[in-house]
Amino acid sequence: MLKIINLSKSYKSDRKAVDRLNLEVGNGDIFGFIGHNGAGKTTTIRSVVGVLDFEEGDVIIDGMSIKEDPVACKQKLAYIPDNPDLYEHLSGIAYLNFIGDIYQVGKSQRRELISKYADAFELTPNLGDSISSYSHGMKQKLAIISALIHKPRLLVLDEPFVGLDPKAAYTLKMIMSDLCKEGSAIFFSTHVLEVAEKLCNKIAIIKGGKLVACGTTEEVKGNSSLEDVFLELIETK
Amino acid sequence: MLKKVMRLLSVQLLAVLGDMLMLGKSRKRKPKLLYAGLLFFIVVMSIVSFTYNLMIGSVLGMYHSLEVLPAMMMVILCITILMTTVFKVKGTVFGFRDYDLVMSLPVSMGEIIASRLIILYSFNFIFVLIVMVPMMIAYGILAHPGILFYVFCSVGMLFLPLVPIVVASLVGTLIAFAASKFRHQNLLNIIFSLGLLVIVFGFSFLLDGREAQIVDVGKAIVSQVDSMYPLAGLFTDAVISYDVLALVMFIGISVLAFFLYTALLKLVFKKMNTAMLTGTARADFKMGELKSSSPWKALYRKELKRFFASSLYVLNTGIGIVLLTVGAIAMIFVDLGTLAGDPQAAAQLVTSLPVAVSFCVVLTCPSAASISLEGRSLWIVKSLPVTYKQVYLSKLAVNFTIAAPAILDAAIIGWALGLGIYQTVLLVLVTAASIIFIACYGLLINLVFPNFNWVSEVTVVKQSAAVMVTIFTAMAYVGIQFVFLVLLGSFLPAYLAFLILTLFLDVALYLALVTYGKKRYAEL
Repeated sequence: MLKIINLSKSYKSDRKAVDRLNLEVGNGDIFGFIGHNGAGKTTTIRSVVGVLDFEEGDVIIDGMSIKEDPVACKQKLAYIPDNPDLYEHLSGIAYLNFIGDIYQVGKSQRRELISKYADAFELTPNLGDSISSYSHGMKQKLAIISALIHKPRLLVLDEPFVGLDPKAAYTLKMIMSDLCKEGSAIFFSTHVLEVAEKLCNKIAIIKGGKLVACGTTEEVKGNSSLEDVFLELIETK
Repeated sequence: MLKKVMRLLSVQLLAVLGDMLMLGKSRKRKPKLLYAGLLFFIVVMSIVSFTYNLMIGSVLGMYHSLEVLPAMMMVILCITILMTTVFKVKGTVFGFRDYDLVMSLPVSMGEIIASRLIILYSFNFIFVLIVMVPMMIAYGILAHPGILFYVFCSVGMLFLPLVPIVVASLVGTLIAFAASKFRHQNLLNIIFSLGLLVIVFGFSFLLDGREAQIVDVGKAIVSQVDSMYPLAGLFTDAVISYDVLALVMFIGISVLAFFLYTALLKLVFKKMNTAMLTGTARADFKMGELKSSSPWKALYRKELKRFFASSLYVLNTGIGIVLLTVGAIAMIFVDLGTLAGDPQAAAQLVTSLPVAVSFCVVLTCPSAASISLEGRSLWIVKSLPVTYKQVYLSKLAVNFTIAAPAILDAAIIGWALGLGIYQTVLLVLVTAASIIFIACYGLLINLVFPNFNWVSEVTVVKQSAAVMVTIFTAMAYVGIQFVFLVLLGSFLPAYLAFLILTLFLDVALYLALVTYGKKRYAEL
């Protein structure tokens, strides 16, 4: 579903934020992307979803290049950033309707999925209120619902559990598992290693823009805990 | 205390200047050019102000009323400060983005309020310099006053903005407070503010007229303002009659009013900010029938809602079209001969009044701030399955929608001025082409000078580099129309030439948006 091929991205300084990164996320995979602050996770994710332009390499989504055919690629994916700055002038339901219109979600599916996920995240009563009145967690929930209502084939999330209450975090984990059972792929970054260890079937660790480990969760952590492996890898010069 | 206020102030001024001059991403290259641009703007405006002062002063001098000039300029300045500050209160004193961060710092509320008010003072002081320094020079040339005039005037100038700021802040606070009580805060803010604008423009309309009227109206206004606003009288007494007591009283009252307002603000600061920043939440939504539309319509609707969600955005970019529409309707009822005074002036008005249509059209440019206003939500459109063309078109379409009444206004004005059918059609076509021009031009300039890390909407909508560059260079475009009229002598060839030029510019801007604009969209 997702192939990252030799992806490199530099900002104005010469240092590469992401350096010749390769990885592949298959249908049904829950792929955890781990790294310390400034390692290049968000840059990679923003490049994958077509928000950030990149110089070298390519990102292939369901056989199409994000550079060559960005609209078709974006039609298949949903992205939730680490800080969900949404349109504060809209109400929650107006925002969801906006996303539904852009992805051309039919009326009945839209209504059904909004109800399903808004109920699951206990956000239904607040959907009529302005997003500007939402807390950080409520905005995060709304961003997640908006990502789910068009049944994405690839879900890309940057630190999705930050700001969620424990129940909402549990709900999200269940939804992620269900989506993968239905054949979608999930690629997400996290600092919560326990979540990655329990939820993901594949894990990649990034350090200084380069992958230092990538494979199935069992392959990456071996007999140690993911925390031990992660600390060992990022402390190695 | 002063140290903390200055530290807060420096951070906030830097943030505002950063927003204005788009320091954000490219700190090295652009600031110099932009600071030079700002300086150029101040110099040009000062020259314009000096010419205006000299003209008004000469007329007043002919009627032996030159002493009215300082008070008259003070009134104009006070109105300007009042008008611009009312809309800045929300976003500067209340409802500013870094409120949470600032309030969590170990600084007192008094220090925070002081720093916010000094920002208001600093920006208004630029107006003071632009209006009062040229007035001093013009008055000096015409009246040859003693050195005390310059000394008293310079000292008085420092305190001049205080009372207008206090009045504007009070009105702005009341509007913001009243609006915050309702669900549709912005709509009420727009209605209140437009009401205020109509009152002020109605008042300043009295200032227009011929020479004798300027003196009469000038004197009448000054005497009226003296009774309503005694500080103007004190200021006149201080600078014209070198009355030290009047100067001391002027300074004392200004400072006292400012401190009283600051003390009052302390009482409501937290309450008001809480009310404005939390918004109204009812938490009683029940799922009903959902409407669906095409992706393009959804983008357009989102953009239109963004426009009407900000009273500042509406007022700043909609004032041109409001004035034009009010003017066009008024033209139906006003006799041109009476308005102009004599047939020759009436004929001149017929030729040059349509230039005012273009002037109002170029003021109607929401697209110049539309890219920057995406702010931190930019990721949404960039991650959606829509093309850059659809995004741009939705922003342009909102600009077209807001400016569209100008086409009807142009037709009404053409008819009211008694232009022939060809001239009226030409005027309508020029207006339509100008709307396309300003929308595309504003969008392009915003793509050149985008700013997504703004702290306050005020700086993006009113003072950003993109908006300032767009409006002031668009004024040159309107100037070309006037030059064509002068060079080609009559309406038909001048407007035909201007139409051809505008159509040419429209095509050039379209090409720039699909080439440079496409590249820029990927870089944003």
